[in-house]
Amino acid sequence: MTALWRIFRLILREQPTALWRGAVLSCVVLLMGAALLGLSGWFITAAAAAGLAGMGAVFDVFRPSATVRLLALGRAAARYGERILTHDATLRALESLRVRLLAGLVTAPYPRMIRIRGAQALNRLTADIDVLDGVALRLVLPVMAGVMAQVVVFAVLWALVGLPVALWILAGYVFGGSAIFVLATRKTARLSRRAEAAAQAFRSRLIDLIRGRRDLAVQGQLVAQADFALAADRRRRALQTQQDHAERLAGAALHMLGTVIAGGTLWLGIKMVQAGDLAPSFAALGFFTALALAETIAPLRRAASDLGRMAEAARRVSRDIAVPLPTSAPSAATGGRLQIQSVALLRALSKVPVLKDLSFDVRSGETVALTGPSGSGKSTLLLSIAGLHPVTTGRITLGGLSISDWDEKSLRAAVALLPQRSVLMSGTVADALRLAAPHSDDDTLLQVLEAVQLNGVLQARDGLNTIIGAGGDGLSGGEARRLVLARVLLRRPKVLLLDEPTEGLDEPTAQAVLAGVRRFLPGAAVVIAAHRRVETRFADRTVSVN
Amino acid sequence: MAHQQSSGEVKPYAISSSDWLTPGRKCQKGAAVFAVLASLVWPVQAALVAFALGGLLTGADVSPVWVACGFIILGVVRAVLGIKSESLAETAADRVVHTARAHIVASEAKRASDSPFGGAGGISALASEKLDHLTAYITRYASARARVMVVPIVIFVLALWSSWAVALILLVSGPLIPVFMALVGMAAKEASQRQMAEIGTLNDLLVERLSALVDIRLLGANETVLDGFSAQAGDLRKRTMAVLRVAFLSSTVLELFAAIGVAMVAVYVGFSLLGALEFGTWGGPLSPHTGIFLLLLAPEFYQPMRDLAAAWHDKASADAVFTELSEWSGIETPSLLGQGGSASPLAGPASVTLRGCALPGGGVLDDIDVLPGEKVALMGASGTGKTSVLRMIAGLLSPVSGSVLVAGRPLDTTTADAWRTRIGWMPQAPRFLNASLRHNLTLGRGKDPSQALDLAAVGQVVAALPQGLNTRLGETGGGLSGGEARRITLARAIHGDPDVILADEPTADLDADTAAAVTSGLLAHADRGATLIVATHDSILAAKMDRVIWIGRRS
Repeated sequence: MTALWRIFRLILREQPTALWRGAVLSCVVLLMGAALLGLSGWFITAAAAAGLAGMGAVFDVFRPSATVRLLALGRAAARYGERILTHDATLRALESLRVRLLAGLVTAPYPRMIRIRGAQALNRLTADIDVLDGVALRLVLPVMAGVMAQVVVFAVLWALVGLPVALWILAGYVFGGSAIFVLATRKTARLSRRAEAAAQAFRSRLIDLIRGRRDLAVQGQLVAQADFALAADRRRRALQTQQDHAERLAGAALHMLGTVIAGGTLWLGIKMVQAGDLAPSFAALGFFTALALAETIAPLRRAASDLGRMAEAARRVSRDIAVPLPTSAPSAATGGRLQIQSVALLRALSKVPVLKDLSFDVRSGETVALTGPSGSGKSTLLLSIAGLHPVTTGRITLGGLSISDWDEKSLRAAVALLPQRSVLMSGTVADALRLAAPHSDDDTLLQVLEAVQLNGVLQARDGLNTIIGAGGDGLSGGEARRLVLARVLLRRPKVLLLDEPTEGLDEPTAQAVLAGVRRFLPGAAVVIAAHRRVETRFADRTVSVN
Repeated sequence: MAHQQSSGEVKPYAISSSDWLTPGRKCQKGAAVFAVLASLVWPVQAALVAFALGGLLTGADVSPVWVACGFIILGVVRAVLGIKSESLAETAADRVVHTARAHIVASEAKRASDSPFGGAGGISALASEKLDHLTAYITRYASARARVMVVPIVIFVLALWSSWAVALILLVSGPLIPVFMALVGMAAKEASQRQMAEIGTLNDLLVERLSALVDIRLLGANETVLDGFSAQAGDLRKRTMAVLRVAFLSSTVLELFAAIGVAMVAVYVGFSLLGALEFGTWGGPLSPHTGIFLLLLAPEFYQPMRDLAAAWHDKASADAVFTELSEWSGIETPSLLGQGGSASPLAGPASVTLRGCALPGGGVLDDIDVLPGEKVALMGASGTGKTSVLRMIAGLLSPVSGSVLVAGRPLDTTTADAWRTRIGWMPQAPRFLNASLRHNLTLGRGKDPSQALDLAAVGQVVAALPQGLNTRLGETGGGLSGGEARRITLARAIHGDPDVILADEPTADLDADTAAAVTSGLLAHADRGATLIVATHDSILAAKMDRVIWIGRRS
């Protein structure tokens, strides 16, 4: 619930003016609706009374009927304005929430980042945020407007019709409405939360199926995975059925509440008229107003059924939203000598130290190969140099400044890392490359492709316009590896960190690619986590990490 | 729908919107009947109120208790009918959505390669939240349409019975509404389609960005990506607002029409009751209770049309979903050989023969014969088709021409599942399901993967994970080093003792020692009689095989 409130405050902070105006307008809509029906009822009854009394000629028809027309047109206009205003404001607020959520994911700590699963994060960014549009539109604004309208109508009815009728209507709607809302919420909140979880499970299982379709097929698991996805949907259906049932009951209860209040008002009115305390036209006014006010509780049905889902989505989203990065001043240093000084490291997800007291320097233009068995900490050291993994003891400095003191932007400009696994997104080859350097011209792109020995291969297709499918589909493993290497080279870093750069390449290609790298970046300090002889042979010297 | 689902095949023709709706047809009709009955309670309630208020004016004896009770009891009847109608409509929606969803899942499980319709994000968006748009259409539109056909006519007849003038007002103002609605409907549909397309694009974009988070960070592309996303999200907002604006505008206009109609009735009734107007009835002046009755009826004359107009936008978005569904179902991709399910193993010695197989990218392979128990390396320059050969042997890719024989039988729909039961598969790129490491390793075959883990020299790595076999890895093995992730896929391949191993670059990423360990693991497994086919660049691994088959020109 606190998360829900926090999300509402965020939304409100994004669009305060529009939402306040919207709230006032929605209250106005309700009041005009009540006034319209009440006045019409009064008007007809009063007119009938005047006609029966033979006073038709002196009865003022013009002011009430003009007011009825004004209210009818005004209400339609106010409703239109309120809807546009609040929807636009909410959508804008959600849009910025979405961007902040993605920003939070992009700047998440590295260990968390590598375990983010696309499908789950997508659920956050789309389904969860979509659910949150109800927080302002279907929960807070309607309830606020409804309460305000009830209070105003209470005062007016007290003056025009009398306290019993006014009190009956106010108490009936406020207490009855709250009771139904609380009861319905208690039942549906849990159901809708679980239904939402099932819907998200379905989605992520279907994504697993589509993305892992080949592996699953060979393992004979494709049918099982499809059943697994459908099982989540079956669970959602069962919950949905229960929830729909509870929601229908709540809807019927709200409908009945309106009927009982209107019926009760009719009874009170008739009694008062028969006692001679009230003119029939004012009894009609009370009855018609009571009918119109049913509009104030109608949104509770939707609000009650969505509350569970909204609260859950709010909880997840508010947890993942970006904590704004400390905007440290750009570091003074821009590059220089890379020094590893008696560094010790723990690997991610493990408490076993992998590096102990390692020291070495790399000068500009020099290539150093790190050697050691798989799992000995080569990749982790590269991550530490790139500022993504903490060192337990010792220091890593670049240009005399500790890596941890570099600000993110300058560090990314100075240091580039080719990780063991890179993901290519769908688009053209040029798109993939320009992700690293948005302002590169075609000549530069061709040059870097030449350096990684891809130019020839791609010339045979569409060159820079060759289309890559999702996840690098359409490229062989070796081609994909060289393309992501090219992307890193385009950053033109001072320090280039390559984690097993020639994986998947045959020996002559690997040799040519490494030579191309050096040609493209003659001045860079290059550190390679090497696992092949071709890589260690290429380096100026090797450093063993054990 | 039913027959398509049972055969579970991707049909080459698009499925029409009425086919998708068939499963809920019966319940939808029932829902419409009850919705109409519920609406018809109101005229009775209105008559009761008119009788009471009219009685107060004329001084007749009105019992407040009976009037209030009568009003409330009728309200109960109306609520019960409403519940029944909604319940049927929701059942109809549930059936339609579920059938369509199951169809999408079954069809996607049949494809051998990704559909050009869109990525995993786009298709899952279609199967989940977009299909949910149909619910609003089925629950609201159908009942609103039924009420439009009955309720206004009943009210018109009731009005005509009391006053031809009121009936005339309703007759003139009523038909304007459907005309206007049709115009709005066209605009709404177009806007909805654009919005749907935008949702799909945004989802695909996001799925990709999210799986590339690390790369984006390392390339310093945070801002570029966030800007791009922000622009896309802004587009989506504008499209959504465009849809909403049409919806709001049209309901406002309808509200105005209704308000003008009601106001005209009110003015006529008011002046008649005052005695200023003396026409419009069937002889005699309008009595107070008839006047009140007519006034109470007038808004209900317009209400079904307004509801239909509101539901018209549900129809527009449902139409947009139908368009996407038929687009999706109209796309034909190569089907997977077999179901991709479990089967009893194909009998016969594990031999593999490729005869004159043409690659989809062009080029014909030399014939390949692998004998049972043989260890073979596929070598060749990058991009010559080594991976394609492995896929053909696994039945994941059908040759354009030529044939694949496995265990002496042609690899086709009838044999593929049984053949794959015998295969241990080690793909080039590790990918893990959103489940525990244990599930990822065993995939339902046998319980204890420790032997396979040891054979793949990765037992200790798993033991060092804080949650051991219960760890959930990232999609591509995040949390492990590349070498470790690939050794996990090796363990997965040899777990369950398959007698054919297909491995794509099994020693890539690995240092010499671990590569040797993996190689000996593969060989140890092969020595138990398994056929081993590896695609590799690793000359050390290749040297340990019985022979090397060169794909493409020998380099």
